[in-house]
Amino acid sequence: MTMKTSFAFALAGLALVVLALAPLVLPDYWTGVLLGMTGYVTLATAWALFSGPTRYVSLATVAFFGVGAYTVAVLNEVMPYPLVLLCAAGIGMTMALLVGLSTLRLAGVYFVIFTFGLAELVRQTVSWWEVNVTYTMGRYVFLPFEGRHIYWQLLVLAAVTLLISWAIGRSRIGLALKALGDDETVAAHAGVDVTRIKLLLFVISATIITLVGAIQAPRWTYIEPSIVFNPTVSFMTLIMALLGGAMRLWGPLVGAVPLFLLFEWLSVSFPDHFSIILGLLFILIVFVMPNGVLAKFDDLRKGNRA
Amino acid sequence: MSAQLKITNLHKRFGGLVAVKDVSFNLHPGEVVGLLGPNGSGKTTVMNMISGALTCDAGRVNVNGVDLTRMKPHRVAKHGVARTFQLVRPLPTLSVAENVLLSLAFGRKRHWGREARDLVEEKLAFVGLAGRGDEQVGNLTYIDQKRMEMARALASEPSLLLLDEWLAGLNPSELRIGIDLVQHLQGQGMTVLLVEHIMEAVRALCSRCIVMSAGEVIAEGPSAEVLDQPVVIKAYLGDDHA
Repeated sequence: MTMKTSFAFALAGLALVVLALAPLVLPDYWTGVLLGMTGYVTLATAWALFSGPTRYVSLATVAFFGVGAYTVAVLNEVMPYPLVLLCAAGIGMTMALLVGLSTLRLAGVYFVIFTFGLAELVRQTVSWWEVNVTYTMGRYVFLPFEGRHIYWQLLVLAAVTLLISWAIGRSRIGLALKALGDDETVAAHAGVDVTRIKLLLFVISATIITLVGAIQAPRWTYIEPSIVFNPTVSFMTLIMALLGGAMRLWGPLVGAVPLFLLFEWLSVSFPDHFSIILGLLFILIVFVMPNGVLAKFDDLRKGNRA
Repeated sequence: MSAQLKITNLHKRFGGLVAVKDVSFNLHPGEVVGLLGPNGSGKTTVMNMISGALTCDAGRVNVNGVDLTRMKPHRVAKHGVARTFQLVRPLPTLSVAENVLLSLAFGRKRHWGREARDLVEEKLAFVGLAGRGDEQVGNLTYIDQKRMEMARALASEPSLLLLDEWLAGLNPSELRIGIDLVQHLQGQGMTVLLVEHIMEAVRALCSRCIVMSAGEVIAEGPSAEVLDQPVVIKAYLGDDHA
């Protein structure tokens, strides 16, 4: 490991410790904000793991997120909590495997549309099942967690996700991902098993997203499909990753932190115009910084030097 | 001498069009062979069926005694077949070195780390791009992109190299450089199948030629003889010139 990486690791470790201690001194409201922010940092980083280098824009985030939350809602009284999380991860993984096998052949806009449809399909299926089979609409999650407990779990997941992203970025899989994002044919002829690598990353990404949903479930206490399958989650994740730069390790985090704070403020101050502002922001980011803030900084730096 | 590439009765149809019809030929180890023919005669389709980009409807592709028929491209690459593309296809988000590294990492021997970096530099030096690994491929000139693509193909450590019009679009002095490079490979014992329209290059490089027209092999033999056959001239230039 070089000096520079050791230093970066030390710094990241220190930041993690400070963030972990924060709820002990902060008021509950701010712990809640940190919790939500960490959730989105994890979602955006996990989303970018697959969609960043491959450029397969997925709107299925909330499908996995919601499945995670619902798994906890259904199983939390049946088995111990760690086992519930394991089940959620397993279900997310299986679903990603099935979806991936059947759709990663789709390219461009077809993939986007499919993933959006998938989220809606899952939501409708869960609703139908609850109404017609279990005769419940909405479930209660009673777990003895306070905000900070959920926050700590998310913090660990966020750290693990960033670690995975870092490790993949410097592995041959990371190189293959960038290559197939550029040109799948060339990558295949260079010896890359394109389908397998796409599937692998899609599954890793989706499993993490499922876990975010599962860990956050106790926060709502009451869960129903329209809450946990809200498409806004998919859009926010996407826009955060794009703002920071989906091709970079820290990009999604850099995008998620300010946008989460902004959305938090907007949803309190302008609850009725929230969606409009979200849409406008989306357009603005794609037009002004298609490669994200970090790439923009690099460009500016290069520009100044030249 | 056993054949390195053995193609038997290869057949490919696109809808109603028969693109390749009953094509058979062999390449022996260390041979550089030209695959010629007018546009649309099925040369690239044959190349694509060897490299796995297309699957054949009938027939067999055998390389080094291994049956590669209908194998996926990434597996064909691992069996020692590398290719370049008719139009250069650099990977723009990767640096020059990373483009080459890709084939080393996923080729026959799966190199990685320090050893792979040394090999990248070796491949780049071979094609004349020594010390230029950190550049963006977008900044390379056309001939340098072609060089990079050659280095990328060689990095998977192939025993058979498929060059699809690799020399097309070069100016005369660049063409000289390109021909020298292929000759250099030939000197190292590489087997090469070359789709090419530039006769100067074909005469300089290929001991043997296979000529296709309308999906069929119409002539085959030593270059000097084949290129002067009336049937070949007719296929290229039409009846008046035969």
